[in-house]
Amino acid sequence: MKLTHLLTSSMIMLSTAVWADPTHRLFASNERDNTVSVIDTRTGEVEATIDIGQRPRGIGLSPDQSTLYVAISDDNAIATVNVKTLEVGPRLVSGDEPEAFDVAPNGNIYLSNEDDATASVIDVVNNEIIAVIPVGIEPEGVAVSPDGSIAAVTSESSNMVHIIETEGHTVIANILVGARPRGLQFNSDGSLLYSTSEISNEVQIIDTSSYTIIKRVGLDSIENSRPMEIAVSPDDSIIYVTTGRGNSVAVMDATTLELLDNIPVGNRVWGMALSRDGSTLYTANGVSGTISVVDTQARKELKQIEVGAFPWGVTLDD
Amino acid sequence: MKLKNVLASAMCGVLLLPAATMADVLEVTLHYAGPESGSAWKGVQQGVDEANLQGQFLGQNYQIKVVNPDEIDAIDDITVLLMATDEETMLHVARHERMSEVAVFNLTSGADALREACQPNLLSTMISDSMKHDALGQWQERNPDTPVSAQAWHEDFEKFAARQLNTRFSRSHGIPMDDQAWAGWAASKMVTDSIARTQNLDSSDMLTYLKTEIAFDGQKGDGMTFREDGQLRQIVLLINEANEIAAEAPLRGVSGGLDSLGQNNSCQ
Repeated sequence: MKLTHLLTSSMIMLSTAVWADPTHRLFASNERDNTVSVIDTRTGEVEATIDIGQRPRGIGLSPDQSTLYVAISDDNAIATVNVKTLEVGPRLVSGDEPEAFDVAPNGNIYLSNEDDATASVIDVVNNEIIAVIPVGIEPEGVAVSPDGSIAAVTSESSNMVHIIETEGHTVIANILVGARPRGLQFNSDGSLLYSTSEISNEVQIIDTSSYTIIKRVGLDSIENSRPMEIAVSPDDSIIYVTTGRGNSVAVMDATTLELLDNIPVGNRVWGMALSRDGSTLYTANGVSGTISVVDTQARKELKQIEVGAFPWGVTLDD
Repeated sequence: MKLKNVLASAMCGVLLLPAATMADVLEVTLHYAGPESGSAWKGVQQGVDEANLQGQFLGQNYQIKVVNPDEIDAIDDITVLLMATDEETMLHVARHERMSEVAVFNLTSGADALREACQPNLLSTMISDSMKHDALGQWQERNPDTPVSAQAWHEDFEKFAARQLNTRFSRSHGIPMDDQAWAGWAASKMVTDSIARTQNLDSSDMLTYLKTEIAFDGQKGDGMTFREDGQLRQIVLLINEANEIAAEAPLRGVSGGLDSLGQNNSCQ
């Protein structure tokens, strides 16, 4: 008993130690000027701009949030940055044209290789590609389930969501979705997978026990909407969808997909990051060259912060 | 070395994909009339190759069958006919009794007469001469002193994932994608996309689906649809004398959107 208690309390201490001191930094990949903008979210100011490599797009953090990963597509690599010191570290292998990625709970990176119709799995510790998985044409969005058992990848030109089991790295299901699927996001227990389709202008819910679409809804009421990325509120009740040239974030009921609100942000909005407590949403506005700060309670944009040229994605250390 | 090994095993893995057993595979033949060389033909091949990659996962296998437009009577089962011939032959074939419920695609002709004919089963993925004319008119109104030409496609086009399509095509065929290559790719891609969704090879159902259901991802922007006269709505690129993309028509601010380009023949 005592040992269990001791272990439990030390684990709590450990996890507290990891998150006790987040930097509150938001990182944005600027696709057209090869930089990452670092914003202190407490002041809303850009505190640093990091030269990162050619055509930075996908962006994310290691599970312990100590390392920033940035897919630098035209350098065919993943750049690394120390989240605390902002020092650029050694690059990781990625295969050709890495675009979007997600980091599994065990630290492996699952990424899409846009021009090769493959997804790659990177063992970060050994800097090694441990699997290359054939998928459809123009793979884009990637999401790893919360328990790490499956990874999902969209293929934009082949109109599929591929489900990959992470133990053997084989494709176990292929789901035909609306034209030009983009973003993916699991709910907190992994029972549902949300996906967007840019050209058919839809949001879909995929049941991960049957791998079938159980709900699909169009965003026709939003002018020029091209749904891109998805964020799920911490209580799983709401999803946020960036609408690309619709220049807004759609707020939808996570069960019914009813459109609850539409929040105008900057132009050609793609990437998005939701704060851990769900109160603040940050969006990357490519054409505007800004990051929008959105109050999710008021469902209102608070401000736009200028960053580099064509911000693609954002990730938050909070 | 390690990467090579991984790649080699991944390629072997393609053969082991659990997507579909042989019995499940839907065998599909697309009929084609025209030269077995040149851009339109390469575009059709590109579309079919891409469909076969998708079909590995979803259980379809596509092949192209070349037919002689003088021997339409000899065709048994047909879902669609893709044509890269002169426009008289296209119209003649589309009007053939055997083809009345079959979508006949025009991949190569800009002739307005083909659209004015209002032939209900004739679908043009190639842009029309009047679309080019209107695109040039929009440009000249604002830029009277800068000459441009109008095209359906350009090898440097990047927006809307055009860059990725250009990369795929030039990797496969060693030449840049041009107007006819795009029109050939688009026709075969929209037909195979439809088959993946409907699992239905009936020509009449396909014709209805193409004309009423599809919002095709042609990697040229919004979902693409057909006009009443069978013309596929699409943007037109304006190319300057240095062979650079100067603009996309419809130009910003022009009313009517895609229907500001070309005729809108009412075919009631």
